[in-house]
Order: sequence, then C-alpha cells, then structure tokens
Amino acid sequence: MMYSIAQIKREWQFMLSQRYVLALLLCGLLVSVFSVVTGISEVNQQRATIERLKAADEIDRAEAQEKYDDPGSLAYYTFHLTYASPSNLAFAALGERDIYPWKHRVRMLALEGQIYESDAQNPELAQIGKIDFVFVISALSPLIIILLFHDLVASERNNGRYDFIVSTAKSSFALWGARSAVRFISLYVCFMLPFVVGAVISDTAFIDVLLVSFMCFAYFIFWTLLSLWFGRHSSSAPKIASSLIGIWVLFAFVLPILGDIAINKHIESPDGGDILLVQREAVNDAWDLSIDTTMASFLAEHPEYDYYEELQSGGFNWWWYYAFQQVGDQTAGSLSVQYRHASVAKYESAKYVSWLSPPLLLQRSMTRIADTDAKAAFEYENQIREFHKALRMFYYPELFSSDTFDKNKLESMPQFK
Amino acid sequence: MDVYVILLHQGLSVTKNNNSKALIEARDLCVDIKDATILKNLNFKVAAGEIYALLGGNGAGKSTTLKTFLGFNKPVSGNAVIDGQEVTSALDSVRSKTAYLPESATLYPHLTARENVSYFLSLADIKKTDAEIDTAFEKVALQANARERQLQTYSKGMRQKTAIALALLREAPIFFLDEPTSGLDPVAIDEFNQLVSDLAANGATILMVTHDVYGACQVADRIGLLRDGELVGEYEAPEGGRIDTEQVHIAFAQRQTA
Amino acid sequence: MSVGMTTNAVFSVAKDEWRYWVRSKIAVSVLIIGLLLTISSVIVTLANMHELSHQRSSMQNNAEETFVDQPDRHPHRMVHYGHYAFRVPSPLSILDPGVDAYTGNSIFLEGHRQNSAMFADQKQGTGLTSLGSLSPAFVVQVLAPLLLILIAYSSMSREKESQTLSFILSQGTSIYALILGKGLALLSVVGLILVPLAIAGMYAVTQGESGIVVVGFLLAYFFYLLVWALIVLLFSSLFSKNSESFTALAFVWILLCIAMPRIASTTAATVSPSSGKLETDFAVLAELRTLGDGHNANDPAFAKLKASLLEKYNVDKVEDLPVNFRGMVASASEEELTHVLNRFAEQSMQDELAQTQISRYFGWLSPMVAIRSLSMISAGSSIETHHRFLREAEELRYSFVQSLNKVHVEQLSYIDDINRSKGEEAWKKARVSADNWQMIQDFTFETDAAETRLNRSIPSFLQLALWLGILAFGIRLAGRQSL
Repeated sequence: MMYSIAQIKREWQFMLSQRYVLALLLCGLLVSVFSVVTGISEVNQQRATIERLKAADEIDRAEAQEKYDDPGSLAYYTFHLTYASPSNLAFAALGERDIYPWKHRVRMLALEGQIYESDAQNPELAQIGKIDFVFVISALSPLIIILLFHDLVASERNNGRYDFIVSTAKSSFALWGARSAVRFISLYVCFMLPFVVGAVISDTAFIDVLLVSFMCFAYFIFWTLLSLWFGRHSSSAPKIASSLIGIWVLFAFVLPILGDIAINKHIESPDGGDILLVQREAVNDAWDLSIDTTMASFLAEHPEYDYYEELQSGGFNWWWYYAFQQVGDQTAGSLSVQYRHASVAKYESAKYVSWLSPPLLLQRSMTRIADTDAKAAFEYENQIREFHKALRMFYYPELFSSDTFDKNKLESMPQFK
Repeated sequence: MDVYVILLHQGLSVTKNNNSKALIEARDLCVDIKDATILKNLNFKVAAGEIYALLGGNGAGKSTTLKTFLGFNKPVSGNAVIDGQEVTSALDSVRSKTAYLPESATLYPHLTARENVSYFLSLADIKKTDAEIDTAFEKVALQANARERQLQTYSKGMRQKTAIALALLREAPIFFLDEPTSGLDPVAIDEFNQLVSDLAANGATILMVTHDVYGACQVADRIGLLRDGELVGEYEAPEGGRIDTEQVHIAFAQRQTA
Repeated sequence: MSVGMTTNAVFSVAKDEWRYWVRSKIAVSVLIIGLLLTISSVIVTLANMHELSHQRSSMQNNAEETFVDQPDRHPHRMVHYGHYAFRVPSPLSILDPGVDAYTGNSIFLEGHRQNSAMFADQKQGTGLTSLGSLSPAFVVQVLAPLLLILIAYSSMSREKESQTLSFILSQGTSIYALILGKGLALLSVVGLILVPLAIAGMYAVTQGESGIVVVGFLLAYFFYLLVWALIVLLFSSLFSKNSESFTALAFVWILLCIAMPRIASTTAATVSPSSGKLETDFAVLAELRTLGDGHNANDPAFAKLKASLLEKYNVDKVEDLPVNFRGMVASASEEELTHVLNRFAEQSMQDELAQTQISRYFGWLSPMVAIRSLSMISAGSSIETHHRFLREAEELRYSFVQSLNKVHVEQLSYIDDINRSKGEEAWKKARVSADNWQMIQDFTFETDAAETRLNRSIPSFLQLALWLGILAFGIRLAGRQSL
C-alpha cells in the first residue's frame, strides 16, 4: 500500500512537470465547465419559459372563461398549455430537446391538426448541436484520452528512454500503472468535477450522479485501454494516434451514419404531411356531409351519445362541430399511428447500431436517464394525447346536453400534469 | 590468416578461469530477433568485481546481448544468468541488482539533474537523502551549479555523469554500460574511465559493450570479441597491467577480411 | 537564385513529397479513404436531395390540384380549407443540405393564422447522426482537415527530425522553396478532394443554380482547405519532432472543428435566448383581441367600416350594400391581422437571425465556423433562405385568402350569406362556383438570388481571408526561424 502511494505520488509530481499534459487537462476542465455552466443556464431558461407560459396561459384561459358561457365556445376559445419540464439531469444531457418540442398549446379541435405544430429552436444552431456535458464526454474526451495515452510508452521508446526506465524501475507494471493511473484519475476528475458541482446545484438525484459517473468511468476506461493497447508495441506515436483517431471517426461518424442509412431504408413511414392532409379533408368535407353520416362515425367511438337527434336544432350545433373534429382525428388515426410507430421503430433500431458505437451508446444511455431523448419526446406526445382525450371526456357530456352549462364545473376541468 | 588464428588461440589460452563467483553469465545463449538469429551459442562469465568488455563491430550482437541481460529479449535457447538467477524468470529481482547506462543517457530533458535522479530512484524504490545525492554528484564531478538546471541544457558528458550518479546511488552490484564513451571528448573519456575503475575497485561488476578497441583495453579486465553473434576470442589483462591493444586490434580488424 | 531554379526546386520538393506519401502506406490509404468518403457523401446526398426535391414539387402540384378540384363552396370555407407551401431544396443542397432536415419543409396555409413549418425530417430520425452526417459539407469541413493532418503532419518536422533540413538548406535550396514545394504537394491533395464537389457543382448548374454561386462555393472550400494546408505546414515547421507536430495538429483540429462550432452555437443560444413561437403567440393574441373577430360582422370593431361603407354607397342598411358586407369585414380584418402577425413574425425572424449572427462571429476564431456559414449561405440552405420561404409562404397565404375574400365580397349576396344556416336549401345557396378556385397561384419556392447570397457570404469570406493572411505571415516567421 505504502509502495503504491509512493508510486502515485512520484508520478503525480512527474505529471506536474509535463506542461502539455497539464494543458490538455486544463482544456478538458474548461470545456467541461463550459458545458455544465451553459447546460444549467439552458435548463434554467427552459424552466423560466415554462413558468412564464404557465402564468400567461392561466390569464388567457381565465379571460376566455370569463367571456364565454356555453361549453362549445369555451372549448373553442380556451387553450391549454402542455409542457415537459427538463429533468434535474437535463443540464448534462440537453438531448433532443432542441429538435422535439417540449411545449405545446392545444384545444378541443382535431388534435392531428395541432400536434405537429412545433415551437422549434433555431435550426441553424440545432443543426450543429449544443456542447452539453454528454457531448464533451462522448465525443471530446476520447480525443483528449487518445492524446494523453497513445504515447505513454511510445514517447519513452522514441526518446530512447524506454530500456533505461524499465530496467531501472523496480516493477515496470507499477511504473506504467502508476503513470496511467495518475493521468487517468486527473483527467476523470477534470471532466467530472464540473458535472458533480452542476449536479449539486441542480439537485440531481444521487443515484443518477452515481450512474452517470460510473458510465463515464467505464467509457474512459474503454478509451484508455484502447489507447494503451494500440501503443504497447509501436514506437511511432503519430501512427498510434492516427489509428486511434481513425477508430474514433469510425465510432462517432462512419458506423452511425451507415446505420442511419440502413434504418431509413428499412423502415417505411408515411409522410407526415399526409396525416395533416387526410385530417383536413375529413374535417372540411364534414361541413358538406349530413350530420348523420358524421355522427355514425362518431358513435362508433362514443355510442353513449346516440340520442343526439333530440338535441338537433336548425342552426349550428357545437356537438356536431366537435364530433367531426374527432372524426377527423379518427380518419387520420391509422396514418398517425403508423407515423408514430415508424418514429419509435427507428429510434429503437438505432439502439442496435449504438452498440457498435460507444460514443452513441453513452449518449443514448445518458439522455435516457436525463429523460431528454426522443423516447421522452414520444412520451410527452402521448401525454398530450391523453390530456386531449381527457378534455374531450370533460366537454362531451356538457356538449351533448340540453341543460344550461354550470360554469362551476370548469373547476373540475382536467389539468395538464 | 594463420597469424590471426594463432593470435586468437593465444588469446584464448591466456584466459584463465576465474575462481570467484560469476555474477553475469551467458550459457549457450541463442537469441533471435524477427526470425534472424543474432546470438549463436554465446558463452561467457563475468566474475564479481570484474570489468568485462564485449567488443565488436556494427551488427556483431553487442546490444542484443546487453538487452538480453536486461530482460528485453527472450532467448530461444540457453540462459542469461545474473547472480545465479535466470533473467527472464526473475526479472524484478534481477533488475534491482543491475544498473544500466544507455549509450546516450536519455533522462528527462525537462527535469533538472536532481529531479531526474530522485525520480528514477523512486522508480527503483530507493530512498536517498539530498546529501547522499550530492555526494554521488560529487563523485561523478557534476558541478554544484549545474545540478539544478534542466537536462536540456546539458552537454552529453554531463548527462552521462548524471546517469552514473544515479547508478551509484542505486548501489547496484552489477553495471551494464552501452557504448559509454561514444561521443565524449578525450578529457571526459578519461574521467569516465577513472570512474568505472573506481566502481570496480569498490566491488562492482561491470559488463560494457563497445566498438572502441582502445577504450576497452584501457579499462577492461577482460575483453570478449564478438563477431556475428559468436564469441571468437577472449583477452585478459596481465596482473596489474593493461590488455595489449595492438593484439586485440588485429583480431578485431580480421572481421573485415573474414 | 534565379526564378527558374526556384520553380524547379519547388516542383522537385513537391514531387518528392508525393513519392514519400506513396511509399508510406498510411498516407496513401488515408487519401483513398478520404476520397471514397467524399465521393460517397456526394452520391448519397445527391440522390437524397434529388428525391426530396421531386417529392416536394409533386406534393406542391398535388396540393394545388386538390384545391382547384374542390366543389362549389362558400368562399370562406375555402379560406379554412387552406393550402400548402412546400420548400423545394435549392440545387446546391446536394452539397450542403444545411438546415433542411432541421426545419419543417411544408406549411399549412389558412385564413387568420400563420402556422409554423411542420414535419422536420430530423424529428423522425434515428438520432444517430447527432455527431455528423454523410453530407459533402460535413465530410469536407470536418474530415478533410483531419485527412490533411494525417497525410502531412510530418512534412517539415520530418526533415528536422531526420536532420535532412540542414542538408537540404546547405545545398542552396531556400527554406521557402521547400515550404512552397510541400505546400504545392498538399494543394494537389486539396484539388483531389474538391474534384467530386466540382462535378456535383456542375450538376447543380444544370439544375438551374447560378454559375457564379457555384464558383464562389467551390472557391470558399478551396480557401478553407488552403487554410488547413497552411495550418499543417505551420505546425509542422514549428516543431522539430513528428510526434509533437502531430499532437499539436490533432489538438488544433479538435479545437477548431469539433469543439468550436458547438461552443459557437451554445454561446449564441445562451447569450441571446430566443423566446419561441409559443411565447410570442400570447403577445400576438393579446394584440389580435383588440382587432375584433373577422367572423362576426357585428363586432363593434367593424362599426367604422360599416359607417364608411353605408356612407359611400349612400344606403341605410348593410343589406342594401352592393357588396357583401361580411366579405368586406373578413377582408379588412385579414389585412389588419396579417399586419400584426407579420410584425411579430418579422421580429422573431430578426431575433433568430441575430442569434445565428452571434454564432457566425466565431468564424473569426475557427475557419470551420466560417466555412459552415459560408457554405450554407451560398448553397441556399441557411436560415436566411428558410426565412425567405416563410415570408413567401406568408405572401402566398395572404394572397389566396384575400382573393377568396374578394370572391366573397363580389360574388356572394349578403342575404344568402347570412341565411346560410337556415336549412339545406339556404346552405346550398350560400356558395360560389368552383371556377373561382382557379385563382390559386402556382407556387415554386426559389432560393435567394445569386447576388443576395454572395453579398451575405462576404463576412465569412473575410474571415477565411484573415486566416489565410495570418497563417501566411506565421509561416514566413517560422521559415525565418528555421534558417
């Protein structure tokens, strides 16, 4: 034990004398700090936006509820905010939140006509992506590890020191072990420290921090061993580094891109525009169809309102209006399901590709824990659908009723989350 | 041709078997490097306190011999034995007994002499005080004002001195020297030879490899002449005297015509 | 030394460099892999964008046909029936698809609303291309510099490490001739990488792209790769060990090509956060409430309109007006509403542009950021072109809605209109002929004019020029040091 400590201490001091190692460590630290700070700021912005939206939404809805008295107009004029708050780990893995929307306002109209509206972020920034902690670890840290470890042995060989060092050392295993361990631990600390501080600030669950730390540790070990393994014999440091960077390019770009092409070829998906088109045709045509035709389709889902004929008046009927909105959704339903299934299938198939690419595997795993991946976006969409359904369940009995609407019932209107 | 053969035989005949314990011993040593046979049945012994020089031209197998004793090459057959232990099977124990001085002493250029020495001592798990280190520096005549300078400012001789100081501090009983005087000026060579003699006088066993006939004859107690991986002759210094340089030189030169 | 001799020296150095690459298997295999990547990215992207282009044009035609095929209807029904605008990718998108997959590429156009572009391809992606996609732009911007580094990191440091430099210099060859020769050899590699791009560029010209833009586009990539060739030469000259030169260059590449672009986008998003459509929608809504509901002709907001019309036609009741008052209201309110919507839309586009601008300033710090902006702007796949699409789609929306309102005003009687809900017969009477739907304009989205795009790309060209200048100066200094 004492011996190992002495080894580590010596190599620690030795590392402090190597300026380029320190420079690389400092870069790692800086970029990690940058990612965590901007990540926290982004999450705070998202939270603040949600708070502002909630307040504005509340006021807007109150105004509409003040202004109208009948359930038809109320349902038409009141919007409902839905949102997916960033998790406490989102600062480290912003994930797909700049591509998929995390805020939506919906109302009782056909949902298929509303749900694809997206409040996306700046596309030119989304195209290049953000530098979040996951990116720093999955993409940048391997490169820094490669630069730090590829010539651990080769530089000694190259400078003719190898034989001398090895024959001097009491145990060469302790020498290379201690030297690698010191670099490894320093690098790990430089990258992880900002994350841990960020996690404390963000009140992240301890188990998540532990899980992320473990995953990063395993990832670091993978790249370190790979670098050491490649560098074990050769004395040409650039050759080792070239091969390692080549492997990085393969993992980060080539394999995922090939996988992407294969998956897109393989999984057929209806065109999103078609869903909208079908839905729009159904809703628009309904104006020219007889009420009975529309209601027949509607009753397939809601047989409890088969008494609608009693409610029929000569003019415009809100219940008929909302019935054909729902029929619009029903008509586009199968397309929409296919579309969503294709999205899920694509994302799920990508899992197998990511097993071939450690950087993507890490990204997937971390965005999963942080609940910022495409899956989280799909879940959010389902929540909107559920909420919209609940709204319908709330309004339908009132719409299909000849009684005057009791506005106190608005108190029990479903709330998102 | 005959003359050389005679000389060779004379050389062999003058070698007397030392009775004291052999600390370094090659027994039928055969070493291949990348399918090429470099050492062929090499046999020699270096007794405790002896300076033995392996002399040979380029490609004779000198460095291979040294590296085999350092444990970097694995023999195909035969043994490299140090202090009764087979090198490859007891590497750690063997290395703690040996000090190696490479051809160009390649210490860390960004560290000072003192930092280098402490670093390598720590590698070898040896603790020395600053005073002890200074004593070693004095022994090798490394000026006090140079000891705190980074090695990248050193001349080759000074770097060599630092390496020797390190070897001294390691108190290893066995030294391996690889072309120790190449690139040194005459004054530095004299200083170095003196140091090596002192080491041996204090009981160190030294195996040096060199292509410098003159230098070898200056310091060695015995010389082994290596040619194409085979030992073709051994020469011994007479009691209290030096090996006859001319005799070795002729044998060495035979390589060109053989 | 005569010019002729220098030229000879330069050429023989370049020739020797090529011989070295051919003999060192790594350089050749790296070059082959790089070229294969470039060529396959060109082919894949070309096929992809070609298909998208066809698909979207046919969907646009389709949308126009279905609109025209609608039966006789109340004109306002057609306002809500709506129309579509599709963004057909620009010809040069085959080399740089830019934001295409990140923005929706179709907009549903209807009365009283500005919808956002929907169905961005990326939303149905695998998430696998988050680090990079197989577009020629990405391959040349990110991977080609790495290729240049792998091939030439040792071009000068090798001569120092093996001490051939002093030997060469002692023969009377000038250090600049040596650097120039190495540079020439590297330039030939740059040329090789650009060949597939040039061919695809020529294809874009046949698809209607302006020749000047294509030349500018290729020139920009040439400058960019030249910047990297100079970076490689500079670092190789600064270090006397191959391994040091390599490590330094790899680090510079990581910094400039991998880290900096994302640092730029993150900084832009942090420094100038955009409020998002949902949030501006509240402000829009608040302002729209003051305008009055265009569906309700009795809304007090239209009292003034009513009064002026009654006065103009000298009648007492709206029923007596020769025009359909409901149509007038719809038209007037659409005009006012569009005015408000456009003001907010314009504001949010300006905000988005300002944000993008911040990230583009990083082009002074990283040539990769400079070429990225330059490439998208020239190719017509940048945010500006998307904004242009949004504006044109809005123009289309406004024009078809107002044309329908005009039909409403002129061809539908007010009496029929207000009685439309009084039974089947009245419902049928409140209609106009389907012939009126022919007024829908053919919409083909076209990228900004060549001149506009070239003007926009000037700052990025300056950024690259600055890099070239500084590097050339740096190499001069390094050369002097090596003497």
